[in-house]
Amino acid sequence: MNKVDTTTSPRVIKNFFSQTIVLAQRSLVSELRQLATVLPGLLFPLLLAFTYTEQFERVLSLPGFPEVDSFLDFLLPATVLQMVSFGASNSGTELALDIENGFMDRLLASPVARVPVLIGRVGGSALLAGIKTVIIVLVFLADGAQIASGFAGFLVLTLSACLLVVVIGGLSQILAIRSGSQEVVGATFPLIFVMIFMSSAFFPTELMSGWFKQLAEFNPMTWIIDPLRRLMIVGWSWSDAATALGILLLGSVLITGASVRTLHKKLGRP
Amino acid sequence: MSTQTLPKAANGISLSIAMAVCRRGVLRVVSRPTLLLPIVFMPVIMLISFTGAFGSLTRIEGYGSENIYDWMAPYVALQGSVFAGVFGSASTAEDFETGFFDRLLLTPGSRSSILLGTVLVSAIRSLFPTVGVIIVALLGGLNLSGGLPAILLLTAASALMASVFCLFSLAIVYRFKTIRSLMIVQLVAFTSFFMTIGQVPLEFMTGWLHQVARFNPTTNVLRFARQGFLDGITWELTWPGIVVFVAANAVGSVLAFRSLRRIGS
Amino acid sequence: MKTVIETRDLVRKFGEIVAVDGIDLAVSEGEVFGFLGPNGAGKSTAIRMLTTLLHPTSGEIYVSGFNVVTEAADVRKVIGVALQDAAIDPLMTANELIRLQAVLHGISRSEAKERGGELLERVGLSGAATRRVSTYSGGMRRRLDLALSLIHEPRILFLDEPTTGLDPTSREALWDEVKRLNTELGTTVFLTTQYLEEADQLAHRIAIIDAGRIAREGIPKELKENISSPTLRVDVEETDLVQAQAVLDSFGDRRPAREGRAAVGLDGGAARLAEVIRALDEAGISVEHLELDAPSLDDVFADATGRRLEGVEEENE
Repeated sequence: MNKVDTTTSPRVIKNFFSQTIVLAQRSLVSELRQLATVLPGLLFPLLLAFTYTEQFERVLSLPGFPEVDSFLDFLLPATVLQMVSFGASNSGTELALDIENGFMDRLLASPVARVPVLIGRVGGSALLAGIKTVIIVLVFLADGAQIASGFAGFLVLTLSACLLVVVIGGLSQILAIRSGSQEVVGATFPLIFVMIFMSSAFFPTELMSGWFKQLAEFNPMTWIIDPLRRLMIVGWSWSDAATALGILLLGSVLITGASVRTLHKKLGRP
Repeated sequence: MSTQTLPKAANGISLSIAMAVCRRGVLRVVSRPTLLLPIVFMPVIMLISFTGAFGSLTRIEGYGSENIYDWMAPYVALQGSVFAGVFGSASTAEDFETGFFDRLLLTPGSRSSILLGTVLVSAIRSLFPTVGVIIVALLGGLNLSGGLPAILLLTAASALMASVFCLFSLAIVYRFKTIRSLMIVQLVAFTSFFMTIGQVPLEFMTGWLHQVARFNPTTNVLRFARQGFLDGITWELTWPGIVVFVAANAVGSVLAFRSLRRIGS
Repeated sequence: MKTVIETRDLVRKFGEIVAVDGIDLAVSEGEVFGFLGPNGAGKSTAIRMLTTLLHPTSGEIYVSGFNVVTEAADVRKVIGVALQDAAIDPLMTANELIRLQAVLHGISRSEAKERGGELLERVGLSGAATRRVSTYSGGMRRRLDLALSLIHEPRILFLDEPTTGLDPTSREALWDEVKRLNTELGTTVFLTTQYLEEADQLAHRIAIIDAGRIAREGIPKELKENISSPTLRVDVEETDLVQAQAVLDSFGDRRPAREGRAAVGLDGGAARLAEVIRALDEAGISVEHLELDAPSLDDVFADATGRRLEGVEEENE
């Protein structure tokens, strides 16, 4: 899969890691600097969550709706994932920007291995997603929500958020490499947003009907959200944790591989 | 030298100038159809998402409708129209950037004619999300028990709300002259449509949301626009909406006109 | 002569910055008046105030007898304006813009069509009239801008840096058009420019503006002559040199010259050239070569402001 380094000498590996870390730092710092764009990504999902909690109280008594004390408990995974999706394609837009203004050429001309160029950026985003998740969980807990599976569940949720960023970020980077345009990458954001709506994020699929239900059940977001939600409202379950993390891990690995391949192709390497 | 006749006194509104500005705006929209895509596409997607995800709300006692499309379609159409209204002022921002607005400012006629023309374009633009949403909703299962009067009410509400938000946006754009300055209006538009009886009736709401939605003028507008789709058109549901339309348009006009007059100070 | 543009102590501030710092001017009907100055001198600010697009901080402006602030609509009826950034909509065609402009000025459709066609012909855009303006070159946009400013046959035309950025051919064409408007139709023209040659060629009177103030004002010829008289240099045979210099000395102050040349500051300027040649001829001196270097407007500018005009093209002086 990865044809960059054929040697595994300690020095090469050390370089690999330090390069990745440096690039991750760059990505993280730049995102934090653009706080104005980061904040809506945090505030909007929270606003949505609190609004829905106050308007869907009667929904809790619908037959077929999972047992929860408040809609907030129901929403936690969805809010986290929504928050993540706001910043996830930044990896791609920034990569596209670097390509557009030529910085990418400079990067590639320097002795940086190819893989760190990609995963460094995504790594920074993932770290930021982890921080945002912690913030959201704290806010929810402060408002009275509960995590049935306790700290373990919280860890799984946070890890899932980070991995989702890797997946979405990786996809957006592939798009960036192939299109070279910030606009194209940015246009994917509404798509992700809609994808979350057309899943079990805000309502259980059991209470849907028709072709929409089928669409939602087919949506990979649902496959992730459902087990995560069970961890939140029912309790710890190894199979739920494994399902959510497993899907995301698989996705991350595949996407990262694909993005590296795409980069190599673009650079003309075999 | 030829006789120059302005259609109205220089200080009165000139209909022909307003129509010319309106015509230009409409031609602009028509000549760049890709611009229309977002304002039709987004409301339609929202319609599908909301009716699909929240369809079972109709099972709850007291919801207000048995058909989720009847409930959601007016909401989504209105929201789309409002954004059409806001973006009607984006072309004015473009005019500032290209310098073309100077030409408009040099008209010996009344400048409020230009304002009127721009607002008219917004109202016309609002037709697109409204019609788009109705068509898709009909395909999805809209009941439309209220028939043509219902559609007319919704269309009127859409146009009037587009006008309101266009006026507020213009008040900002005339002052700051950039497209970025519209973000704040977008925010206000979004929030007002968020904390209202969009997905559920007022009786379902609890806590702070209930209070906010009660006093949110958009709630009256939604009741006005939705009534033909739900139980029936009544005066109780109509007059509060009219009050909001008149008041909001009046305030918006004053603000926009003031900003317009201040250009060049 | 009727005064059609008048300002009294015109001032415009932007916060702390004083862009226009007390300008008094008066332009007569039928004149071509030029505002000459470097970038940032306040030319564009001044012209925007004259054309009702900007309010003065203080001072008064009268155009065609109307107060520009309180009677703006009346002013707009009689002025035509072509600003530095051609005020056109790239998404429209020339014809559509003509039509819109006509409506804005209350001109009927048929009249607009006729006049518009004429104007587009005149500025050489009839062939491109149905194309979107976004496809036009910079020069074409300026020409369209000029046509638009003339649709209502204004008595007073305001031009802000009309040829900045244009190629020499387009520039000449625009100068011809401005001259024609002035001489054939009697249109008063107020133009701002950073090009000395433009001011020299077109303006009957100019005002040199620097840092928001008028540094000097007058007819270009007089302004130049007031700096100093032009230098006349004469090449003669070596044997005639001393005598030639003596002849020249009677026409003004001696000026330094290289070997083989006699030079004098010619009092009375080029008008006396014929006299000089006659005098030399009567003295039996044959002239091999003659040069007359008048001070340029650049010299006037330097004299008035202490600097050379920035951004001026290399002129073959």
